[in-house]
Amino acid sequence: MRADRTAGLAGFLDAVREELGLDLTEEQAGTDIDLLPEWDSVHLLRLVMLLERESGRAVPVGAVLAARSLREIHALAAGGPGDTR
Amino acid sequence: MTVALEELRTLRDTGRLAAGYPRVAALLAELTDTADRPDAETADELRRCGGLLARLRPQDVLAHHPDTPVATVAVTGHSGTAQLTDPLVAELARHGLLPRLVTGDHGAYLRDLTDPDSPLRRCGPQLTLCVLGADAVHDELRAPWTVADAEQAWHRLLDRLHAVAAAHHADGTGALVLTTLPLPRRLTHQIVDQQQRALLGAVWRECNARLLRLTAEHPALTVVDLDPLVGESGPATDPRLALYARSALSPAILSALAREAVHVLRARQGLTKKCLVLDLDNTLWDGVLGDDGPDGIACGATLRGEPYAALQRVAKQLAAQGVLLAVSSKNDPGPVAGVLRDHPDMTLRADDFVSVQAGWQPKDAALRDIAGRLGIAADALVFADDTAAERALVRHRVPGAAVVPLGREPARHVDRLLADGWFDTPTVTDDDRHRVRHYRAAADRSRLREAGGSYEQYLRELGIELDISPPRRHELHRMSQLSLRTNQFNLTGERVPPERMAALCADPRQLPLAVRVRDRYGDSGLVGAVLARRDGAALHIDNFFLSCRVLARGVEHGCVSALLAHARDRGLSAVGARHRATRSNGRTRGFYPSLGFVPRATDTGEETHYRHDLAEIPGPPGHLSVRADFEGDTDAC
Repeated sequence: MRADRTAGLAGFLDAVREELGLDLTEEQAGTDIDLLPEWDSVHLLRLVMLLERESGRAVPVGAVLAARSLREIHALAAGGPGDTR
Repeated sequence: MTVALEELRTLRDTGRLAAGYPRVAALLAELTDTADRPDAETADELRRCGGLLARLRPQDVLAHHPDTPVATVAVTGHSGTAQLTDPLVAELARHGLLPRLVTGDHGAYLRDLTDPDSPLRRCGPQLTLCVLGADAVHDELRAPWTVADAEQAWHRLLDRLHAVAAAHHADGTGALVLTTLPLPRRLTHQIVDQQQRALLGAVWRECNARLLRLTAEHPALTVVDLDPLVGESGPATDPRLALYARSALSPAILSALAREAVHVLRARQGLTKKCLVLDLDNTLWDGVLGDDGPDGIACGATLRGEPYAALQRVAKQLAAQGVLLAVSSKNDPGPVAGVLRDHPDMTLRADDFVSVQAGWQPKDAALRDIAGRLGIAADALVFADDTAAERALVRHRVPGAAVVPLGREPARHVDRLLADGWFDTPTVTDDDRHRVRHYRAAADRSRLREAGGSYEQYLRELGIELDISPPRRHELHRMSQLSLRTNQFNLTGERVPPERMAALCADPRQLPLAVRVRDRYGDSGLVGAVLARRDGAALHIDNFFLSCRVLARGVEHGCVSALLAHARDRGLSAVGARHRATRSNGRTRGFYPSLGFVPRATDTGEETHYRHDLAEIPGPPGHLSVRADFEGDTDAC
C-alpha cells in the first residue's frame, strides 16, 4: 500500500492546496475555516473524500462538519483527539 | 498531476491567469488528450482546473482579451448545484469560452426559470441548466408512502417542468437543458412488495420518458438522459453528498453532465464539427499496412479485427447523418487505395470518404489540405489517431481542431470517439443526409475547374440555376441550421435557432427567403437564406447567409440583384442592408458596396448600415439562371 502523504500536517496541507486549489500557509491551518480566503462549504466534502482516498480509512463526516479548522480536520482523520483551539 | 494543472497553478500563483486565458483551452486539450488514463482521473483533474478557473473574474480576462467569447450560463436545480460549478467552468474553458455563471437560489428553480424578473432570466443566458435528481420526487414523499404517491409527485414535477419549458419558449433566451431523474436503489428498496417495487420502476421510467418527449414540443429544450451517463460513469449519487451537501448527483455524473451540456451550447451556436479525419494503421484496422501488407491487417469479424470493424461501423453511422469522413495516413497512396477498394473485411470504402490523404506529409498539412478541398475551416475538423505525437502536432498546429485520443486498447476506440459530442446538432436535416453527395459533386466541379479555361468559362459550363423564394414549412430547420453553420458568408454573424426561425416566418412584416442552387453536377439544395423585412416604402436585408459550398459562383450577387429588382418593381423607394463584421466574415466587407449600396456616413466600428436607392440595379451575373418568387406558393410559411 502506498504511504499516506496526509499523515503529517505539512503533507495534508499540500494535498489540500492541490485538491482545492487554495493558497494556504501553515499558520492558516489553525484559522477558523470560514475565515480562510476563498473558502467554500463545498470544500468540506471534497476534503473528506481526499482524506479517505489518501488514508484508506473512513472519515466521520459529522465530526468534520463540526470542526472549525484544518488542523482539527487533520486530527480527526488521523484518528486522534482534535486540537479544539 | 499533468502539465496543464501545474501550469494553471503557476499562472494563478503568479497572478497571470487572466492574462494567460487564451492558453487555457490548449492546456485543457492537452489534459484530455490522454488515451490510456482512466476517465475518472482525467475528469477529476479537469474538475480541479475548473476550481482554479472558477475564481477568475470574467471582467479581468476581458480587460486583457476583449474578444474572448463569453458564455453566460444560468444554473439552477431542485437541490444544491455548487458541485457542478468547477466541472462546468472547466468544460466551457475547454471550448475557449469564458464562463459567466449565474446560479439560482437553492431549491427555487421554478421561480428562477418562470419569473421574468429572476436574476437567471434577466442575465439573458445562452445556456440554462436545471439539474434534477431523484430528490425532486423523493422530497415530496412523506412516510409511509406508496407507489401511487410517488406517481403523483412525479406528475406534479412534470407539470412544473412543463411550466418551465413554456416560460422559456415564451420569452427565454438560449438553450434550456433539463436532466432525467436516475432511480436510486435506496428508493426502490423502501418498497418491500416486489410487485409494487416493479411498478415503481415502471412509473419512474414512464415519467422520465414523458420528460424526454417534452423536447418534441420545445425546440429550445434539451433533456440530457442521465441513464447512459450513469451506466458509464456511475454511481448516480453519493449518499454523503446528498445528505450533507444537498447534491443530488455524484461528482462523476455532474462532470459528465457538464460535458454534455456544453455540447448542447456548442450545437446551438453552430459550432458542430463537420468532418472526422481518421488515421488508418491501428485506428481503422489492426496492423501497419506498409509492414504487414493488405493480408496482414485485420478489421473483420475476428478477435483481432472486431474492435476495428466496430469503429468503422460507427464512423459509417455518423456519416449517414451528415458527418464527412476523411483519411489522414502515413502510408503510400497506392496500397491504401487498394485496401479501400479490395480488402474483403473493410466496412468503409473509398466512396465513404470525401478525401483520402495517404502520403508522407506532416498530418497538420494533410488536415489543412482536407479542409481546403472541402471549403470548410480547419477548426471544423475532428482528428482521431492512436499516435500521441500526431495528435500533439495537430493540437499545436491546427488550432481549434478537436483531437480524439485513441489508446492501446482498440475495444475502447468507439467510446473515445463518442466521448465528446463534437457532431451533435439540434436537428439532422435532409441536407445533412445528402452532404457526402454534395461534396462529391464539388469534387467533380473542381476537376472541371482544373481542366483549364477561364473562370468565366468554368462558371458558364456549370450551368448554375438559382431559385429564391419564401421557405416551405419543411425547410425551416435547414434555414436555422444554415444560420448556425455559416461563418465565412454570414453578413452579421447572427444565429437564428429553429423556434425563432418559425416565429420569423409567421410574422407578416418579415420576408425570409430560401436560396436553392443546382448545376450540371447535381442539386446543392437549400444553401442560403436572405432575411428581409418590409418597412413602409422600403425593404431591409437584416441578414444574409450562404453555405461556403456555393461561394465564388456569383450566387450571392444573383440573390441581392433579384431582390433589388423586386423592390423596384413593387415601387419601393429603397433597400436597406446591414453588415456586422465578425472574426470570420472579413471577406464580405465589400459585398454590399459592390452592388451599389452606400454606407450610412455615421457608422463606425463593427456594424454598417447600407442603403440602395434603386436608381441603378446591377443585373444578375450572366452565367446564372435565376428564378425568383418573392410571394411564395401555398405551402410557404
